[in-house]
Amino acid sequence: MIRTELKRGTAELAILSVLERGPLHGYEIGRQIEAQSQGALRYTLAALYPLLYRMEQRRWLEAEWETGANGKRRRCYRLTVKGKKMLAPMRAEWTDLFKVLRRVAKVSHA
Amino acid sequence: MRDWRKFVRQRMADSGDAISEDVVRELAEHLEDVYTGLCASGMTEAEALLRTRRLVQNWLELQQSITAARQEGMMNERVAKFWLPSLVTLLLGWGILAILIWAGVQPWMTHPAEARGLEVYVPWLIVQPLVGALGAHLARRANATGWRLYVAAAFPAIAAAVVFLILIPWAVLVDRNVGPDFRFVSFAANTISWVILPGLMLCAGVAVERLRLTKCGT
Repeated sequence: MIRTELKRGTAELAILSVLERGPLHGYEIGRQIEAQSQGALRYTLAALYPLLYRMEQRRWLEAEWETGANGKRRRCYRLTVKGKKMLAPMRAEWTDLFKVLRRVAKVSHA
Repeated sequence: MRDWRKFVRQRMADSGDAISEDVVRELAEHLEDVYTGLCASGMTEAEALLRTRRLVQNWLELQQSITAARQEGMMNERVAKFWLPSLVTLLLGWGILAILIWAGVQPWMTHPAEARGLEVYVPWLIVQPLVGALGAHLARRANATGWRLYVAAAFPAIAAAVVFLILIPWAVLVDRNVGPDFRFVSFAANTISWVILPGLMLCAGVAVERLRLTKCGT
């Protein structure tokens, strides 16, 4: 399991990535991240919603109440154009970070 | 089915600040999903209920996080909807006037020999609707509507009005050699020249922006 401090930094990228495939409601966002990371990334309700609201305020996401097939009203989040634009640099940033970490790790193990 | 809305509302109420009904509803839906999922996985109802209730350890902390997240947005929104467009119109509006004066453009004056008539920089006034339109455009792009568009567009005139309301009455009080009729006439002329006329022209910019939107079909 990945530690909370590490997870915090990954949450924005994880949320944007799962929403890239289509709109989802909060519970489903958390579930999909957990499933795709095979349980390594698990965001609690208390971690997920403040972040979703923050990303919504930044206009990376937009949310609307929609009625599902079972008649239940859900607040569905979808990526905005700004959110889509955020994904590429965020992925590049993480790729750079991993490269640096790999380099540092080699040095430390030498 | 359990009343998760009531549960969330109660926990949130205990935590202090009011939170929107939309948030309560959304969190309740989440808890409902968790509870249903746990029951479907074979857990007893009592255990599922206990686990779901314990999902949030600290409701006060959650409420504070949500409020902080939303306030960050409100600050950003205020900057985007109001302060940024207003600053642009202020700098552009008065900046153009400074350039015209620097270039030697003379104002049209009703009483050139006296200091109490109207003083109008015609080229400056003519470009004010474009400045106002830019302010309205920036504000509208940030989802501002109604009077906020006019405030963003007419901000240079509003700033001038504030200066006039403070500085001119103060100057009149200090300079006791000025006659009372002159004071009033001068104040009125300056208000028309620097507040009302530019303000109207800047507000016309909102109409220019609306016209542009209509032509673009958005």
